Amino acid sequence: MATLRLSPSPARPTDPAATLVPWLVPALVLLLWQVLAANEIIPPRMLPAPLAVGQAAAEMAAEGKLVPHVLASAQRALLGFAIGGGLGFLLGLANGSFAWSGRLLDSSMQMLRTIPHLALIPLVILWFGIGETARVFLVALGVLFPVYLNTYHGVRTVDAGLLEMARNYGLSRWQTFRQVILPGALPSILVGVRYALGIMWLTLIVAETIAASSGIGKVTMDAREFLQTDVLVFGILLYAGLGKLADVAAKGLEKRLLAWHPSYVRAR
Amino acid sequence: MAPMALAAPPRPDAPTPASATPAAARGVAVAARGVAKAFGQRGVLRALDLAAAPGEFVAIVGRSGCGKSTVLRLLSGLEGADAGTLTIDGAAPFSGNPLARMMFQDARLLPWRSAAENVALAVGGDRARAAAALAEVGLGDRGGDWPGVLSGGQKQRVALARALVAQPRLLLLDEPLGALDALTRIEMQGLIERVWTEHGFTALLVTHDVAEAVRLADRVVVLDGGRVALDLAVGLPRPRHRGHHVFGEIEAAVLDRVLGVAADPAALHEIPAPCGLARTA
Repeated sequence: MATLRLSPSPARPTDPAATLVPWLVPALVLLLWQVLAANEIIPPRMLPAPLAVGQAAAEMAAEGKLVPHVLASAQRALLGFAIGGGLGFLLGLANGSFAWSGRLLDSSMQMLRTIPHLALIPLVILWFGIGETARVFLVALGVLFPVYLNTYHGVRTVDAGLLEMARNYGLSRWQTFRQVILPGALPSILVGVRYALGIMWLTLIVAETIAASSGIGKVTMDAREFLQTDVLVFGILLYAGLGKLADVAAKGLEKRLLAWHPSYVRAR
Repeated sequence: MAPMALAAPPRPDAPTPASATPAAARGVAVAARGVAKAFGQRGVLRALDLAAAPGEFVAIVGRSGCGKSTVLRLLSGLEGADAGTLTIDGAAPFSGNPLARMMFQDARLLPWRSAAENVALAVGGDRARAAAALAEVGLGDRGGDWPGVLSGGQKQRVALARALVAQPRLLLLDEPLGALDALTRIEMQGLIERVWTEHGFTALLVTHDVAEAVRLADRVVVLDGGRVALDLAVGLPRPRHRGHHVFGEIEAAVLDRVLGVAADPAALHEIPAPCGLARTA
């Protein structure tokens, strides 16, 4: 039997050949890039060949420069995400659940969210200097609003019929929250999380170009100083890889937590 | 003479099986006296008097917006009346009243809980009782399924199991079969009649399907303009069949009364205007 509702992604491939299809285009692009660069049709100063980038990566790893920088970046990103996302989640729950809290805080949040958080960089540097705090603060600020908005929206749009059912069946406030409101808001909350993960990396990249002493941003800034295009490209690829990793993790979380959702339910 | 208890009193933690309880003793009396309810300017109920004896099956029919669903919402405590008194077993209604359970037109199952978990919700997570209730509605093998994979009729069966699992003494049925196809509806009518006979609860069924009302109810009440316009006892033996000529006569009488106001313009002067248009002022 087919899924009840069409899933947003095309039908899940089951045979190994079908899973390889999405990788076909990237592989061809890499191949073309390698051929063009190796024949110096693209000057190596502009864009080094993929193999050269791989070589630079291997050298960095061998010198022990790779892992500490990736860890430093990941730590900043996750710390900022935990602070900003946690705050946004709690504010969204509170404002969505309690009318007085929503009336007090929501319009202020809506006002603040329209400020591009990266525009605050000069102010943030004045406040916190160019240290770790400034970078974590920026990431936290960036992820706060998407998580807040989607949590708030999710809580506010929980099916009123289900809430009525909960009242009629004598569920306590806590049971109603735990059984009805939170799971009902979850699809929306997870959309916010995925969106926030994108903003998290974006903010980090910008923040790490502000005089960082470690992290992927520091590596790419140094590479620019010394015209190491291969390292620079590798740094960009690292960001891409980490971003993809975060997205895969979020998708996995979605699949697990929303197993009941018609988009994910597969008939037995 | 006071009734004597011959058997040992049942342990409070062990739910008494329905079959062991004298059916008529399980239902509660329901009464509404002079009940009025308006939503904004729109008066939906005005001086409504309605009563159901313990264990009685009463069907409420009427045109859309005549206030028939409002009666159930008042009894379930989801809304409060503007005037008049409502009682369930002598006490005022309140939301979460363990005596009364409501079945809605849509099943209102939590999509993120399995069928069995949805039923267990009504008895504090007791999976054994949930499984028994699901078996009673013929879904004993579907307890592990998400509501999303069940058909409309199956979802309403789960909702019925959820309504029955805590052994309520009053079941409020708000057009529970309205969204089902004709064949599933006939099956569900049979199921509702069977569980009502076995459990002996008082049943209030709101429906726009006159044949359904005549098939299931001891009494059919027609609401019009926020008042009872017709209160007709159906004395036919159960199970009832549409083919029976008395069935047809009762159905025609009720239908005439439901449609009567609109069909006869002269009657509009004596009977309050349909509540969809009426104003309280």
